[in-house]
Amino acid sequence: MRILSSLRAGTAALLLLLCAHPLHAAVNVVASTEDMAALTREVGGDRVKVDFIGRGYQDPHFVEAKPSFIRTLAKADLLVVVGRELEIGWLPPLILQSRNARIQQGADGYFDASLTAKILEIPTTQVTRAMGDVHPLGNPHYWLDPDNGRRIAEAIATKLAALSPPDAAYFRNRYADFDRRVAEAAKRWDAAMAPYRGLKVVTYHRSWPNFCDRFGLDVVGYVEPKPGIPPSPRHTLDLIREMKRLGVKILLVEPYFDVKTPQSIGRETGAKVLVMPPSVGGEKEITDYIGLFDYDINLLVSAIKEAGAR
Amino acid sequence: MDYETLRFLAAPFVASLILTGIHAYLGVHVVERGVIFVDLSLAQIAALGSTMAMLLPFTGQEAHGPWVYWTGLAFTFLGAVVFSTVRVRRARIPQEAIIGIAYAVASAATILAMSKATSESEHLKDMLVGNILAVSWGEVGNTAALYASIGAFHYVFRRQFLAISLDHEKAEASGMSVRFWDFLFYASFGFVVTSSVLIAGVLLVFCYLIVPSVAAMLFADRIGPRLAIGWTMGTVVSALGIYLSVMLDLPTGATMVCTFGLVLILMAIARTLFLRR
Repeated sequence: MRILSSLRAGTAALLLLLCAHPLHAAVNVVASTEDMAALTREVGGDRVKVDFIGRGYQDPHFVEAKPSFIRTLAKADLLVVVGRELEIGWLPPLILQSRNARIQQGADGYFDASLTAKILEIPTTQVTRAMGDVHPLGNPHYWLDPDNGRRIAEAIATKLAALSPPDAAYFRNRYADFDRRVAEAAKRWDAAMAPYRGLKVVTYHRSWPNFCDRFGLDVVGYVEPKPGIPPSPRHTLDLIREMKRLGVKILLVEPYFDVKTPQSIGRETGAKVLVMPPSVGGEKEITDYIGLFDYDINLLVSAIKEAGAR
Repeated sequence: MDYETLRFLAAPFVASLILTGIHAYLGVHVVERGVIFVDLSLAQIAALGSTMAMLLPFTGQEAHGPWVYWTGLAFTFLGAVVFSTVRVRRARIPQEAIIGIAYAVASAATILAMSKATSESEHLKDMLVGNILAVSWGEVGNTAALYASIGAFHYVFRRQFLAISLDHEKAEASGMSVRFWDFLFYASFGFVVTSSVLIAGVLLVFCYLIVPSVAAMLFADRIGPRLAIGWTMGTVVSALGIYLSVMLDLPTGATMVCTFGLVLILMAIARTLFLRR
């Protein structure tokens, strides 16, 4: 009888252990872009398993659907999106098709990383299609300010803690460590960019307002006549004239746009065309969030020196 | 238009004249042979080759590197081999069907290869789009030299090429090696089209090839006058298209394509009004 009851207790304990194990298993996170995946990895450590959909070298406005995305989304506990309608063209159908109730918009596992970030260019008037592909909720390229990176990471840590309460302290510690490392690196980046405050630049798409705001660059024009609209001849000619007048020597292009028009503008104005990745994974050596700024600022500073812009 | 605008438009205009020169001539062959879509097909096969090259580890995945260019060209020649051998005597399968199939499969295979390639593959989407407004003087010079040598090659062997284009059966009956000359034709043609598409995009290159030649057929039968009409039309449309694009601020390639269509319609109306035959 004693043997039987202890056997029973042992089995119960074993069963409990087996059942308990999945509770402590890693949280399955899917991020819509590599940037959000990188930030989730920073705070999630080994207690999360992070997948992502859009790759850093792809245009995050257009990601072609693949069957594997739906499978990945189907088993996600948490979906981290950039939000501000950046992914509106491709992500909503994928979420629906995943038939995963946890990550549907509005559910607990749907997390919009932009909610706590500092958002620029929020339109004050009615947005119409005539304005081009303007995001009515503000510019969605907000992760390009390290302060926003810290805010996003903090929000993700809070979210992960809510999903997996036993690991709350772990996530909090990892966030504190990341926050400290970014603050330290930001001193380095600010120092590198300090001599070029007020430098006038032109960018292809409106991808860089947060970056330029943070590091004191003055964006005086865009290669696109309107967001998402390819360059037209009149706008290109006007831009060339304006760039000559203002002496703009740096033209930033995201890696997923055609460089032909920027190069012809560069030939006319003597500006340096700089292909600068706006995302983690935009180049092979950019594997994390801090690395993204290290890479971009290094690239930018050497281009400015080379162009003799200052 | 002020001086600065004209200076900016000079390179695209000269490029469009070069395109007119070679394509209006090749268009006569293409229309006579009835292989209207062969240029789209060859351009797409070249794009497939370039994309595949980027998948190979030793090419460095550099979208504008030499490996990408030469692999694209090698694929074009492969396409030329296919198109010159499939023409079997009294074949029940029309050659246009083969060309269409090659186009569809090459397009789909490019998409597949692109989905496997990393980083710079995004640029390949632009390969078939082209942007004649952004052409540089360096490109204009290289293209001019290349097309001049291919033009000279075609001039030297004009008898053979024309004989096959105008009457395939007769050429074959006369004991010519039709397949060999066909291969040379498609290979040189593919060479030209692949380079042109990089500058002007598929749609515009198609227009330069087909429209002047068709417009000329409205007014003339002999090759000489047809070439003269085709070249004149191509030049006029190029200038008009670029002018309209700048004045109305419209995308240049698409404006030129529509100008081609409009001028062709006007020429057809003129023919029915003044040239009743």
